[in-house]
Amino acid sequence: EAEPVIPVASLADLLRLCQEGKVKEAIELMDKGLRADYACFDSLFGLCSKLEDAKKVHDYLLQSTCRGDLRLNNKVIEMYGRCESMTDARRVFDHMPERNMDTWHLMIHGYANNSLGDEGLQLFEQMRKLDLKPTEETFLAVLSACGSADAVDEAFIHFKSMKNDFGIDQQMEHYVGMIDVLGKCGFLNEIEQYIEKLPFDPSVEIWEKYMNYARIHGDVDLEDRLEELIVSMDPSKAAAKKIPTPPPVKRTAVSMLEGKSRIAEYRYPALYKDDPKLKELMELKNSGYVPDTRYVLHDIDQEAKEQALLYHSERLAIAYGLISTPARTTLRIIKNLRICGDCHNAIKIMSRIVGRELIVRDNKRFHHFRDGKCSCGDYW
Amino acid sequence: AATLFTQMRLSAVEPNHVTFITLLSACADFPKAEGRSFGPMVHAYVRKLGLDRHHVMVGTALVKMYGKCGEVERARVCFDELEVRNSVSWNTLIDGYMRNDEMDVAVQLFDEMPQRDAVSWTLLIDGFVKKGYFEQALESFREMQVSKAEPDYVTIISVLAACANSGALGLGLWIHRYVLKQEFRDNIRISNSLIDMYARCGCVELARQVFDKMLNRTLVSWNSLLVGLAANGFAEEALRYFELMQEQGFVPDGVSFTGALTACSHAGFVEEGQKYFNLMTKKLKISPRIEHYGCMVDLHSRAGNLEAAIKVIETMPMKPNEVILGSLLTACRTHEDTAVAEKVMSRVVDLQPDVDSNYVILANLYAGAGKWEGASKVRRKMKALGIRKTPGFSSIEVGPSIHEFVAGDKSHDDAEHIYGILQLLSHDLKLLGYDPQANEQDVYQEQ
Amino acid sequence: SFSSPEEAEAERRRRKRRLRIEPPLSSAHRAQQQQSQQPKKPSQGANEFKLPEPVSALSGNRLNLHNRILTLIRENDLAEAALYTRHSVYSNCRPTIYTVNAVLNAQLRQGKFADLLSLHRFIIQANIAPNVITHNLVFQTYLTCRKPDTAMEIYKQLINDAPVAPSPTTYRILIEGLVNNGMVEKALELKEEMVVNEAFSPDPLIYHYLMVGCVKNNDADGVFKLYEELKQKLDGGVVTDGVVYGALMKGYFMRGMEKEAMDCYEEAVGENSKVKMSAIAYNSVLDALCKNGKFDEALNLFERMLLEHKPPTRLAVNLGSFNVMADGYCLQGRFKDAIEVFRKMGDYRCSPDNASFNNLMDQLCKNGLLADAEEVYGDMDGKGVKPDEYTFGLLMDACFHEGRIDDGAAYFRKMVDSGLRPDLPVYDRLVDQLVKAGKIDEAKSFYELMVKKLRMNNESYKFIMKALSDHGRLNEVLQLVDAMLDDESIDVNEELQEIVKGELNKEGRGDELDKLMEEKARLKAEAKAREIEEAEATKRRAKISIANLFPPKNKEVETGSAEENDANANEAAPAAAESAAGEDQPIEKATVSGDSEDSKDEVRA
Repeated sequence: EAEPVIPVASLADLLRLCQEGKVKEAIELMDKGLRADYACFDSLFGLCSKLEDAKKVHDYLLQSTCRGDLRLNNKVIEMYGRCESMTDARRVFDHMPERNMDTWHLMIHGYANNSLGDEGLQLFEQMRKLDLKPTEETFLAVLSACGSADAVDEAFIHFKSMKNDFGIDQQMEHYVGMIDVLGKCGFLNEIEQYIEKLPFDPSVEIWEKYMNYARIHGDVDLEDRLEELIVSMDPSKAAAKKIPTPPPVKRTAVSMLEGKSRIAEYRYPALYKDDPKLKELMELKNSGYVPDTRYVLHDIDQEAKEQALLYHSERLAIAYGLISTPARTTLRIIKNLRICGDCHNAIKIMSRIVGRELIVRDNKRFHHFRDGKCSCGDYW
Repeated sequence: AATLFTQMRLSAVEPNHVTFITLLSACADFPKAEGRSFGPMVHAYVRKLGLDRHHVMVGTALVKMYGKCGEVERARVCFDELEVRNSVSWNTLIDGYMRNDEMDVAVQLFDEMPQRDAVSWTLLIDGFVKKGYFEQALESFREMQVSKAEPDYVTIISVLAACANSGALGLGLWIHRYVLKQEFRDNIRISNSLIDMYARCGCVELARQVFDKMLNRTLVSWNSLLVGLAANGFAEEALRYFELMQEQGFVPDGVSFTGALTACSHAGFVEEGQKYFNLMTKKLKISPRIEHYGCMVDLHSRAGNLEAAIKVIETMPMKPNEVILGSLLTACRTHEDTAVAEKVMSRVVDLQPDVDSNYVILANLYAGAGKWEGASKVRRKMKALGIRKTPGFSSIEVGPSIHEFVAGDKSHDDAEHIYGILQLLSHDLKLLGYDPQANEQDVYQEQ
Repeated sequence: SFSSPEEAEAERRRRKRRLRIEPPLSSAHRAQQQQSQQPKKPSQGANEFKLPEPVSALSGNRLNLHNRILTLIRENDLAEAALYTRHSVYSNCRPTIYTVNAVLNAQLRQGKFADLLSLHRFIIQANIAPNVITHNLVFQTYLTCRKPDTAMEIYKQLINDAPVAPSPTTYRILIEGLVNNGMVEKALELKEEMVVNEAFSPDPLIYHYLMVGCVKNNDADGVFKLYEELKQKLDGGVVTDGVVYGALMKGYFMRGMEKEAMDCYEEAVGENSKVKMSAIAYNSVLDALCKNGKFDEALNLFERMLLEHKPPTRLAVNLGSFNVMADGYCLQGRFKDAIEVFRKMGDYRCSPDNASFNNLMDQLCKNGLLADAEEVYGDMDGKGVKPDEYTFGLLMDACFHEGRIDDGAAYFRKMVDSGLRPDLPVYDRLVDQLVKAGKIDEAKSFYELMVKKLRMNNESYKFIMKALSDHGRLNEVLQLVDAMLDDESIDVNEELQEIVKGELNKEGRGDELDKLMEEKARLKAEAKAREIEEAEATKRRAKISIANLFPPKNKEVETGSAEENDANANEAAPAAAESAAGEDQPIEKATVSGDSEDSKDEVRA
């Protein structure tokens, strides 16, 4: 690197970087001693998504004259929430000289988004103890916290109290918020009951929200029905190419025949000899793996021996390979010694369990394990 | 060359620097006997003329000569005395240290060098590879890339060897892509190295693709693929290529037969194996090396024919090594014949009392037969002799790095998850081994 | 069981707080960096409960996985969906509980119960915490499989230990399932114990299930009591959910209170009724009418339902409506109409399942209309419905009833050929008919077909032996016993031996069985002996060769000098070891090292 005189960066440069979203470069400039102003901080807090960056920028704020600014501190809370560190957010919150409603809302939302809805609800309790009057916004945050805390009942209680205790009319967003609570808590069928009781005609958006939850919870029948409903309301929503859902074998829920089916009188008496399941079972038993402690060359007792086998180096390597790569990709292991008989046996079965090809090169030969078998033909 | 030089001196023709460089190179090429005695003589002559200090090429040739003759200290003296050094001098000395197992000094010199060129890097990497420090070789290659030195095809070959040995398939693939963009992309040696690398990483398919795309092939290309296929258990394909290479006019050498025999033993083709062995010894007059006998013992042992295996050992001209006896022991295991195994082993242990793997095999054999006293006796003996089992380690390449593990290793960052997944796996294994679906069967019956 | 819902909710939250000693932040953070979420404490046992992952976990690669699995489900490749889910547990992209639930749900709707339970157990073991949907699916499975006790046990565990609250749907599933399993008392108890969710309480559907249960038990008082209770919970007003009216009508009919029943009918579907009628509600009312001699009203109501049916916004009929109507027509003896109404369901976008086909065919057969039943059977394929054991069984029985023995046997064969698994009694009925008809050869061929597959009992064996012997085919009896003795899965016990002997004695061949058995025993013993000898021989040969290779120890002393030479030869052991290693890496020696050596010199020169 040549050493030309580094032109002294100006505040304007910093602001430009912030506006261009170049967080890293901006922080570098600040590390060199350039002091940020209000506008820079304002923009940086909105940008940081890494905790490391967030902490740095926050530190610079604490060294600056803007440190006490309410709006900037609120943004810091929001930033920490985004960086998944509610502990840091809370520290800022606790030390703030003054707070406004936004501060509270940001904290509760932050907790909710970080799966800490419970803390959010506790904060709401604290807010009420301080006699702060909740607003429409507050309840949106509270509902979000309820969804995160798996607290359906509480959501209904708070929803009712809006009108009853605080005289706030529930808006469309609050109803949608309730649907989110139900959806997040796995109350899938209950969403429909709730929609039916809505004081207004449900919009396409509401049905779409419901359909999305049906999809999340994996109920294909419900998803199909809702999609049809949505398309009937707004034909532009029709999905281009959709695989038709296969018909279910039994429609128990609607057939009105419950208790009439006498299928048990005709089927599954005793196990069939050629039962594929039974066969597979036998096959597995034959290839079955029982820890073979004979291969451990240490003086340790039986149980410890089984443990030692479990943690042989090749297995550790395989386990690490598994958790670090996508399903069904091949793993390649290299071992400096000959693979022991027990591991060979175990890895064979492992290849079947994990559905991957496991290739082990030991100091003698290659072993390609696939689907419960090894290329070496069990000769190692 | 030495005689010629003597004549030259006698005929009073004044030797110049070219003469000396040629001479010293000649000495370096025969480091065993002639070079060792003749080299210093030439040095003395050169010294008289003062060429050793003033002429950089002559001086370097001296350094090289001593380095290759295993007298790296003298090489160093020559180097230090050189008044002008170029990068070749440095490289030569580094190579000298590398050759003489003084890696630390070599690395230190490398760091001291005023300017490192591609050759310096290559030397360093190749030195590491030769001594089995594959990780360091790969590390150096990464540094080389950072330093922006362009690797040449020699570097590539060294790095591919390191990849092959450490199973760094990811880097191997990267190098393959890199090679495709270079002028030397059709270099046969590089292709051979690629085949070797892929085969030794277990990617037989890719090895074959490289092979198929080659414009020209040498015997080594065929051998690389052949042995790769055989070692990976693709026995029939290996033999097909073995036939194919002969159809294309290549005469198989010892390595080719190692591949063919390995394939036969893998697939249990006893007759074919025997046929190939005869072809090699009788028709092609290749005298079999120990690994060929090893294959034959393995072949018979796998086929369960202990007698034939033993006959091979009896007839071979050299002593059986541990690999061969290992095969024999494995055969004993299938016969559950510990008495024979004991005999074999006692002999092996007598031959090589400090090779740990012999004890391990024997102990496992005893244990396998349920003879616990025998197993612990072996273990006690190992302890008494102060022999420690070589620690086993396994490595796996994930993303850009290679992760190594020893048994019971908890040092890895992800140890907790690794052990978690192993627990789950062990549970599944037991399910498959024991009675897995009792509870489901109930439901199944009454559905 | 807690004294108030608030308390229950509070306790659940306390429980969750305890579980959340370490917030799942770090794992979520990991997710972004490496897309690899592993359980925080992988070693913890299956009995310890964990918090399920939030919906937000379904993002990035894990969402892609979810979508991929949903596609597989739509392609009806459930085996692959389940397998891929399992394999993903062993990967850097663990499936979320949501993906698992999707697979479980699909397995449930395709009746793959064993697979469902197996996957469920696997994910519990893999520390993927179940959520309320998972629990619901498992309850439904056990209840459908007629294992209500298991379902209740798991329910207790859920209430006592799990950090997950049951949803109203949980109780619907449990109560409906208990009623269907004939455990009305238990269902009523559960209603009292329910962790009530204020917003969705009281649940008329639950009252409907319970009232249907009471109807089944002929407990009219129970029906009325439940209705009153529901009304009270709704502050004494009108029950606007029509779902309970059908059962209520049945209660009145049961008591002979026809007027009250029809008042009820009027209240539910009368002109100015405020009662909301879903398809289930309609069907239940429709059923009450059909079963109690009000078929004309039923026809009217059905007509109205069909008119109201405007999918997807308004669903007034479903498969159940057509089943009820088909049953109603049958009850009137109007079988052609029954078939016609059944076939009409396609026009209303309803599709039959095999239970509804079987039901109709059953009615037809019972009324001697086998030909019609066979015609309906012919419709199944076009509707994409596969006949099951029940279908073939009832057709077979009906054929026998009409003396069409060969046709009956043909249905049996078709059932076996299509991979279905008839019960032993079905097989017994078949051979019984064949033997009765004097078709001994056919009976024998079916025996031979099934004996390889089906585990038979003594009675079945006795039957076929007796049939053969009665026709003087003793040699075949012996052949049969011969085959049985070879089959390891069959135990030719003393009872069977006695029978065979008895039959043989009739012709004075009593000792032939003993001979046969002795012969078998002898052959087995011989084979075993040969095996052992073979193994011994190989061992011996090997020992001899080894002995030749290595002379015994005492000889070694004599040849001491030779030994020493050997030892000297092995001074160069490292070299030998290297060549041994060379065997493992022939390529390296052959190519790479050689190559680079040469070429490097070239470069340097």
